Amino acid sequence: MGNGFGHVPSNGWEHYRHPEITPGPNEKPTFDTDLGFPNGRKERVMVATEEEMRSAKLALKDRDYCAHLLLEFRSCRRENWPWVVKCQHEKHAYLNCQYDDFLLRMKEYERERRLRVRQQRQGIEAA
Amino acid sequence: MSLIRPLTISRLCIKNHGILYTAVRNHWNKDFKPGEFPKTPEQRALAAEKYQLVSEDYKPYPNDGSGLGDYPDLPMESGESKDPFYPWDNPELKRNFNEPLHADVDMIGEDRYDVTARHRVPVWLQYVQFFAWMGGAFVLYYIADKMKWFLAAAEKQYPRNGKHYTFEPKEE
Repeated sequence: MGNGFGHVPSNGWEHYRHPEITPGPNEKPTFDTDLGFPNGRKERVMVATEEEMRSAKLALKDRDYCAHLLLEFRSCRRENWPWVVKCQHEKHAYLNCQYDDFLLRMKEYERERRLRVRQQRQGIEAA
Repeated sequence: MSLIRPLTISRLCIKNHGILYTAVRNHWNKDFKPGEFPKTPEQRALAAEKYQLVSEDYKPYPNDGSGLGDYPDLPMESGESKDPFYPWDNPELKRNFNEPLHADVDMIGEDRYDVTARHRVPVWLQYVQFFAWMGGAFVLYYIADKMKWFLAAAEKQYPRNGKHYTFEPKEE
């Protein structure tokens, strides 16, 4: 897929023209997670515990796999206020984590799409 | 103090206090009320004289229960369309002294609606332009709504929604 935003309009078009092989936005992957990985895949690790997030009153939308970095960043801001620029490292770490998280979602999307294409191709070959 | 003295209560109670006397004696609602609808030619002539119109120009509103009585049906003419260079007695309102007012004078003043306006684009064409524009926009929206742009990303992964995996194979 394209690197910039070039895929954004083409996604819309492909989703309209070929809905059977093009997943929509924010869809849950449908195939077996270990398909194509003989030993399976490494599981994502959640560092922050439920109690930590609850005591920090973290919004539900922030309770993702980067929550521990967000907690660190927020506590750093609180300790260093108003010299929050001292937390640049924590902020950078958190944003990088979010970037990688989104990258994983894009990979999941592309995996889903390719598996659907493969399934369709196999169906045609079998028929 | 001399400015305040004329406004004391005792002064207001005097019969020949001009403002109060006029307001109380001459400006009751009954004085604004038009007369009966004129039925005979004599009544018409009297009504025309009352409104200071020549009898050819006098034409009452139809007697259909609107309550306008003998009030004259004057031509609908907005302040905008009156000649600004004519030496009006009252140039602000473009009105001459004792000139009868239109029944809808509160609507057709210069600061209100212009009923005599001549549009550069006729009104039917304005409607066509409006619906063509809105309809065109709706058609474009209807077409584009079927193929919404989106970033190629699967759902956001939250630990509370079950297990998620990286793309690194497990080493065993």
